[in-house]
Amino acid sequence: MMNRLRRVLIAVALLIVVFPYAWVVISSIKSQADLSDPTRLVFTPTLVNWRAVVEGGILGSAATSVVVGVVTVVIALISGTLAAYSISKLRTGGDKTRFTVLLSEMMPPAVLVIPLFFLALSAGVRDTLFAVIPAHLTFVVPVVTWFMIGFFDAVPDELEEQARVDGYGRVRAFSKVVLPQVLPGLGAAAIFAFILSWNDLFYALILAGGNTRTLPVAIAGFNTFRGVELGTMSAAILISVVPVLTASFFVQRRLIQGLSGGGVKG
Amino acid sequence: MAGIRLERLTKRYGSKNVVDGIDLEIAEGQFTVLVGPSGCGKTTSLRMIAGLVEPTSGRIYIGDRDVTDLEPKDRNIAMVFQNYALYPHLSVRDNISFGLRARKKSKAVIDERVEYAAHLLNVRELLDRKPGELSGGQQQRVAIGRAIVRQPEVFLFDEPLSNLDAKLRVEMRTELLRLQRALGATMVYVTHDQEESMALADELVVMNAGSIQQRGRPQDVYDHPTNTFVSTFIGSPAMNLVEGEIASGVYEGRGIRIAVLDGLPGPVTLGVRPEHIHFIDDLPKEEATEPFEALVDVIEPLGARAMLSLRVGGSQPLRAVVDSRWLGGLIEGEFSEFVFDRNRLHFFR
Repeated sequence: MMNRLRRVLIAVALLIVVFPYAWVVISSIKSQADLSDPTRLVFTPTLVNWRAVVEGGILGSAATSVVVGVVTVVIALISGTLAAYSISKLRTGGDKTRFTVLLSEMMPPAVLVIPLFFLALSAGVRDTLFAVIPAHLTFVVPVVTWFMIGFFDAVPDELEEQARVDGYGRVRAFSKVVLPQVLPGLGAAAIFAFILSWNDLFYALILAGGNTRTLPVAIAGFNTFRGVELGTMSAAILISVVPVLTASFFVQRRLIQGLSGGGVKG
Repeated sequence: MAGIRLERLTKRYGSKNVVDGIDLEIAEGQFTVLVGPSGCGKTTSLRMIAGLVEPTSGRIYIGDRDVTDLEPKDRNIAMVFQNYALYPHLSVRDNISFGLRARKKSKAVIDERVEYAAHLLNVRELLDRKPGELSGGQQQRVAIGRAIVRQPEVFLFDEPLSNLDAKLRVEMRTELLRLQRALGATMVYVTHDQEESMALADELVVMNAGSIQQRGRPQDVYDHPTNTFVSTFIGSPAMNLVEGEIASGVYEGRGIRIAVLDGLPGPVTLGVRPEHIHFIDDLPKEEATEPFEALVDVIEPLGARAMLSLRVGGSQPLRAVVDSRWLGGLIEGEFSEFVFDRNRLHFFR
C-alpha cells in the first residue's frame, strides 16, 4: 500500500518536473501552424525553428554567456574560496560572519542595478561584458563563499598544522594540503556559480541589453511586439537549459552537500 | 637531538591564563610526559613548543636556539596528533615522505629513510595504500613513521594513543618506548591518562590549572606527591584523603587516631594509597598504625586482588586494595579492623 502510494507520488512529481520540458521540446519542432493548436500531438516535425534560431545568432549569445560565466566563476572561486577559508579556519569576523555572508542574496537586485548602471555608464563600459561580470559577482561570490565554508569546516585543523610542522609555510600548507581536500566542493561550487551567472536575465538585460546580449536576454527577445515566437523561443530555451541540466546531474550530491553547509558526509 | 627549555611561558585567552608562566627544562634524549586533567594547559604548552600557538609571553629554547618567534617549519620538530592527521589524498609512502619532500631532500635519501621507517614500524606492505584503507593502529604507525623520517631534534606527541582501543593502546605504548630507546630521541608526550604517563615517562610533569604541580621520575612522583592534587591524580584507584588535625603528637580525623612523631599541630589532610591499608594481622606491629574499625561496605574481587570500600566516619568511603588470599571470611555489611602502613603515610597541609 505504502509502496504504491510512493510510486504514485513519484509519478506525479516526475510529471510536474518533466511536463514543461516535454512541452518545450515538442513546441520546438512544431511548425507555426501546428503551434496555434497547443493540444495537437500528431504533427509533422520540422527543424524550421532550430534553423531560425541558429541563423538568428543565438549561438553568439550563448558564447557571450559562456565568457561571462567562466570569468565570473574564476573570480568568484578565487575570492570566495579565500573568504570561506578565512571565515572557517581563522574565524574572521567571528561566528556571525558565516551567516551574514548570504545577506546580500536577500537584497532585491533592483537595489543594486541602478548604482551598477551608473557605474558602468561613467566607466564607459555599458553594454559590454565588463558591466555584466561585476554585477554577477555581487550574487555569485556570496553563494560560493557560503558553499565553501562547509567544506573547509570538514577539513581537520590538524591537517594544516601537520603540514606546517612538516615544512610548509601557511600559503603552501593551504594550497598543497587543505585545498586538495575541498576540490570536490570547489568543482560543485564552480558549476553552481556558472549556472547562477548563465541564468541571469535581469542584470544582463539592463546593463548590456544591446549588442552584447547574453543567452537569457536573447531568449527574452523572442517576446516581440508581434507576440511570442513560441517555436523559436522553445528551441532557444533548450539550448540554454540542456548544459545546465547535464552539469547539475553530475554534481548533484556535492551540490546538496555544499548548500546544506557540509552536513552530508561525502 | 636537543633539549627544550621553557622560560616563564604564558598563554592567556581573554582574562584566563591557560598556561601560567611555567619554567621547564626537558632533558635531551629523554621521554618527558606532560600529564593533567583536560584544560590544565598541557596541550597548549605542547602547541607552543611546536609553534602552532603563539605564547602571550615567555621564551622557548630548543637546544641553544631561541625558537619563540620561528615558524613551526623552522623549529626542526616533528609532531604526532591525536587524530593522526594523515593527508587523505596521499598514499602512505607520500605521507611518510611528505616532510622530506617539503624540505627538498634527494630521492635517494627519501627512499632510504622511508624504507627504514616502514621496516621499523612494520608498515612496508601498506606503502601504496591510502590512509582511508588503514585501521586505527596502522594509521598511528604511519603517523609515527612520518615523524621518524624527518630525524627532528624533538618529537612532540599530542595524546597519540587515545583513539585506539585498550589492547592496542598498551601494545603501541610498549612500541613507542622501544622506539624512543632505539632512536635516543627527545620526546615530549601529552596525555590525560595517568597510567599511560607512568608507563612511558622518564620524567613526569604533572600539570593543573596552567601550572606545573610536580615533576620527577614517575615512581618518585607516585611515592612522594607534593600536594593533594598530585596525590589523587597519579595512581588508580586514587589516594584516600582524610581531613583531620594534629594536636599534641596525635593525628585525629574521622575517628582514626595515629601517633605522629614530628607533626606540627594544626589542620592537616592525611593521604593513604589504597594498597597501604591492611587487615590488622597482615602487617608487623612496628610497621602498622593504631588499628581502627571500619564497616566493609562493598567487596569488588579483581582476581589476584580485591577492592574494598570501607566506611569510617564521614561520607567519603576509604578504598583499600588487598590480596584476595586474605579476604577469608570477610562479609559485606560487617565491621572489621584495619591498619595503615606507618611508613607510607602522607600529610598535606
